[in-house]
Amino acid sequence: MKKKLVAVLLTAAMAVSLAACGKTTEKQPEVAPEQGTEQTTEEKTGDTEVVINQGSDDAIANLIAATEGTVDLTLWCSEMESYQNTMKELVDEFKNTYSDVDFNITIGAQSESTCKDEVLKDVEAAADVFVFADDQLNELVQAGALQAVTTTYTFDPLAANGAGAVNAASLNGTCYAYPLTASNGYFLIYDKSLLTDEDVASWENLVAACEAQGKKCGFDFGNGWYTYGFFSGAGCTATLAEDGVNNVCDWNNETGVAVAESLVKICSSDAVISIGDADARAQAKDGDLIAYVDGTWSIEDFQAAYGDNLACVKLPTFEVNGVATQEGSFAGYKLVGVNAYSKNVGWAMLLAEFITNEEAQMKIGANTQEGPSNINAAASISSPALSALGAQSAFADLQRVGGNYWTPAGTLGQTLYTGTDDVKAALDDAVAGITAAAE
Amino acid sequence: MKARRIVASVFRHLFLAIMAGIWLIPILWLFVTSFSTDPGIRTTRFFPEHWTLANYSKLLLHPDTVANFPAWFKNSMIIGVISCIISSAFVLMVSYAFSCMRFPSRKRLMSFSIILGMFPGVLSMIAVYFILKMFNLTDSLAGLIVVYSAGSGLGFLICKGFFDTIPASLRESAKIEGASEFTVFTRIVIPLSKPMIVYTVINSFLAPWMDFVMAKLLIRSKDPADWTVAIGLYNILQKTLIGQYFSVFCAGGIVVAVPISILFIIMQKFYVEGITGGAVKG
Repeated sequence: MKKKLVAVLLTAAMAVSLAACGKTTEKQPEVAPEQGTEQTTEEKTGDTEVVINQGSDDAIANLIAATEGTVDLTLWCSEMESYQNTMKELVDEFKNTYSDVDFNITIGAQSESTCKDEVLKDVEAAADVFVFADDQLNELVQAGALQAVTTTYTFDPLAANGAGAVNAASLNGTCYAYPLTASNGYFLIYDKSLLTDEDVASWENLVAACEAQGKKCGFDFGNGWYTYGFFSGAGCTATLAEDGVNNVCDWNNETGVAVAESLVKICSSDAVISIGDADARAQAKDGDLIAYVDGTWSIEDFQAAYGDNLACVKLPTFEVNGVATQEGSFAGYKLVGVNAYSKNVGWAMLLAEFITNEEAQMKIGANTQEGPSNINAAASISSPALSALGAQSAFADLQRVGGNYWTPAGTLGQTLYTGTDDVKAALDDAVAGITAAAE
Repeated sequence: MKARRIVASVFRHLFLAIMAGIWLIPILWLFVTSFSTDPGIRTTRFFPEHWTLANYSKLLLHPDTVANFPAWFKNSMIIGVISCIISSAFVLMVSYAFSCMRFPSRKRLMSFSIILGMFPGVLSMIAVYFILKMFNLTDSLAGLIVVYSAGSGLGFLICKGFFDTIPASLRESAKIEGASEFTVFTRIVIPLSKPMIVYTVINSFLAPWMDFVMAKLLIRSKDPADWTVAIGLYNILQKTLIGQYFSVFCAGGIVVAVPISILFIIMQKFYVEGITGGAVKG
């Protein structure tokens, strides 16, 4: 009798859990704006041809007419206060522009660098409009989370933004997001009272100048994002394979070995240190660290440390087989995506357009340290950091590496920093790890 | 002989003092950093250069879009207090039933619940998420309260052990006087179990107060006003924010400990009180 009771309980528990798994709501994403065909813009970006139809003013009028009740929208953007405040201003403007409609727009704080994870955790519960870093585009598209930008209401993002940004927002000939900024890259930040232009032209000079003054320079060797620049600068590749998931990498060829040897040589000096962002800011404040490779997000902290002596420049050269070679880098963009599962796709797309148009980008550029991707906005905003990024952009690649890149590349950076007798073995290990098949 | 004992004692205490010191260093660092004028991490020195209370005032009085501590504190408090009341009641009632009442399958049910309680709750995380989503309880404090208190009855074991030590004769004499199970529970067993109740209450407050995993899973909102303390403080540690907010984070870490300390100080005196001593006469 007692056994039966337990059995019944267990069965009931199992039945409940199975039922919970089985019931998923299947929902087809709505297709957004009216397919207006007044204007068609074609633009060659890289190897893909992206086309967007621009809708007429009628499209907006139709959208307003088709809207009943309050429009609920959620917008996720950077957690930084300057961003949050700027976005709030823009959203208020958006509400004023379309004052016929009742909006309830919530702004959430979500770092662009981890946006993909949060969105893919539960796409249906994710924001209608979200800002993400361009390297997440592939996975977001594969998961069907992004509404393709096939038509627009107010302006043509393909023509308004730089070709690099458009390329980063597109996959296989379809544009999936609205470019917002073009400053996710890194460059050299230094104290110009202590280092001359010549000092920062090459790693060899920089190290010698730091040694002479008893100061330090460096970057985060443990982060493959930075290590990449040395190898790409010398002509080695590490990028996504055709399947879009795995990596191809040739860092263990002869050039790669020469790069690694050069890095080991640079790091053999005590003046070169490998430290992360937070430590670097502290050391810069104490006056020990006078040159560091970092991005726009930490400019304010270095400004506090160096004051008026803050200067930014493209990355230095380094010697490969005795030839001065320009260090490369990753260049990244922030993109605004529209959730394909949004209940108000039309309004979400219009909002995404609104916060990425020229005026909005100008505002964001002025209030944050970021550089706009809009061609006109970029031309009118300048800062030392953005000029350095501009100069570096000629040597920068789009960040397209799979998940297996980061750990081996970081380990390689650490190994080269601490020094090794057998760089070839270290490179072989790294390449094996980077190109290992993703699970 | 006496000298040897003193020397041994000195060494023992010295050793303990050093161990205690090492153990306290991180907390001390958190404490002193919370008074630093420097907003970011300073790894080059232990004590701050200049001291200030600004971090606390920023944390408590001037919430911004990044650090909305008052809202986080309120959310965590609501969750903590309500879950604490519900789960304490569950634990005490389940323990009473298993300890004092006799019914068919009591032993079986007990072993079944112990086995069930051995599975870590995180295993069912995803199922919990989707079930709560069906009921529209994600993104709400109510959902978190349900998660924290629903299964708490399974933690009855220690409490039941304590109830077992209360002499059955006490309950029997109450029954003879005509008391119902509920009267026995509230009038006899509960008043005799203060130390156990203190333990249960502190435990059932701490778990939801400090939990991060479930809160992060269920609170999908990115509006800082909807977060709990754990999510909010974690968010501050992002690389874009840490340079401006680290000392505020430390201040938050200190403030979080305040309710726990108060709860403990209030409850502490019950720990030393006797239990059933002298309750059964003759």
